[in-house]
Amino acid sequence: MDILIAIITTGLTNGALYALATIGLSLVWGSMGMLNMAHGALLALGGYAVFSVATTLGLPVWLAVLAAAGAGALAGVILYICVVRSLIRTAGKNFETSVMIATVGISISLQNALLQVYGGQPLKQPFGVSGAFRIGDSVVPWLNVVIILVSVVVMLGLALLISRTRMGRAIRATAQNREAALLMGVAVERTYLQVLALSGAVAGICGVLVSSVTQLSPTLGADPMLKAFIMCVVAGLGNLPGAVAAAFGLAMIEAGVQFGMGARWGFPVLLMLVIAILIWRPNGLFGRAQIRRM
Amino acid sequence: MSETKGTSLELEGIHAGYDGPDVLHGITLTVPQGQIVTVVGPNGHGKSTLLRTISGLTARRAGRIRLGGQDLTGLRPERIAALGLAHVPQGDLLFPEMTVYENLQMGAYLSRDPQQFAALLEDVYALLPRLKERHGQIASSLSGGERRMVGIGRGLMAGARVLMIDEPSLGLAPLVIEQIYEVIGTLREQGRTILLVEENPARVAHLSDVMHLLDDGRLTWSGAPAELLEREELLETYLGG
Repeated sequence: MDILIAIITTGLTNGALYALATIGLSLVWGSMGMLNMAHGALLALGGYAVFSVATTLGLPVWLAVLAAAGAGALAGVILYICVVRSLIRTAGKNFETSVMIATVGISISLQNALLQVYGGQPLKQPFGVSGAFRIGDSVVPWLNVVIILVSVVVMLGLALLISRTRMGRAIRATAQNREAALLMGVAVERTYLQVLALSGAVAGICGVLVSSVTQLSPTLGADPMLKAFIMCVVAGLGNLPGAVAAAFGLAMIEAGVQFGMGARWGFPVLLMLVIAILIWRPNGLFGRAQIRRM
Repeated sequence: MSETKGTSLELEGIHAGYDGPDVLHGITLTVPQGQIVTVVGPNGHGKSTLLRTISGLTARRAGRIRLGGQDLTGLRPERIAALGLAHVPQGDLLFPEMTVYENLQMGAYLSRDPQQFAALLEDVYALLPRLKERHGQIASSLSGGERRMVGIGRGLMAGARVLMIDEPSLGLAPLVIEQIYEVIGTLREQGRTILLVEENPARVAHLSDVMHLLDDGRLTWSGAPAELLEREELLETYLGG
């Protein structure tokens, strides 16, 4: 019973973090055909932004979390204006490869910039909730509950934005058929800018949550980024609800394996499972028949 | 800028192409307001390229296009759409994972007026009642004929001054083609301004005010539909009878 509650707590918390990291990555990948290799670095940026605003400037933590979202969104905008826009225009059919290589470079630069500014020692992040409550004999930290709640709220907000608003419709239309969207009068370049800004904002908040259970380091986004990539592939490209389901499901299984067989078995078993899923369904669990292109 | 009275769309010496050489070699034509102008010709001779060039999807290399007297030079597709040009592209290009209703909603993307939207939607549903029946269905699950209707309905939702329709009969069964051309006949009765592209002149002669024969990127014949159908040697040469 205690083990079960521990597994559920860990699984839900990691699932929430993976899901949040995944939707940011999947949104950009699915609608622009762009695998943003700098997504993990945007997570780190969010984590450090909350540190700067709350710890260094002494402002309230909720404001710092908003600042983290803002920093992520701004980074997304800069990424689009300085790099992605010109790659779309010049790289043509090679866009998917070019943008992947370019964002690897940006990721390295951003991580080193953070290292330069904040130093290499791990920092304690100001966002956190202390205390815990008990279910029977098991202890569930409030921090885990907050992480799950914040993730769910952010995901619901994004889902509403994509499904209900005019901007969301334009994003979906562009993802499903870029030329048709142009003919409807959608300013596709502006839509791409919005997608990167949204993804950056979600990454910023995700970085705050991730660093609240670990510590701040420039590479804090690397592991969530890897997991997000796995979730995208397992769920099938660009399928946001599928990616969220995959994130929670796989995190639950990973937590179960960690408690049952020992922590070091979690990731290998996860990867084996992913390989098996991809052999069974090469387009992912909920994948479309074809991959979307620009 | 002086607007030619009663002329909605004017093309003057249009050259255009993709990566290689020109596909269109100097196309000049006008679409007067309230008329249906049809471009016929064999496949692969530039009919779709012509429409794509007008709506800005394909870059123009030379020439001038005016819509209601306004020069479209250098404008991007979304700006051209905003000026009142709706393009129903070849192969429909629907939004496959959206419902019929959402596709129609995207057609009216540029209009933020809910009353205008409701009026347009009512018109489209009256013209294409099947779309009303299927409004909640995902576009990719529709039949070919229904998809074509969504494409046309989505084009009409823009409330544009000129509608361009690219081969509405493509890939459909004869009976469905008839239905689609009945719809275009209704649009003609409503006095819409339409630039239509079609491979088979016999299908569209009764709908057209003016017909142009597009061969190898050039307009080789223009005139009244009845005249074209009498020119058997032209039909023989260009369209295989």
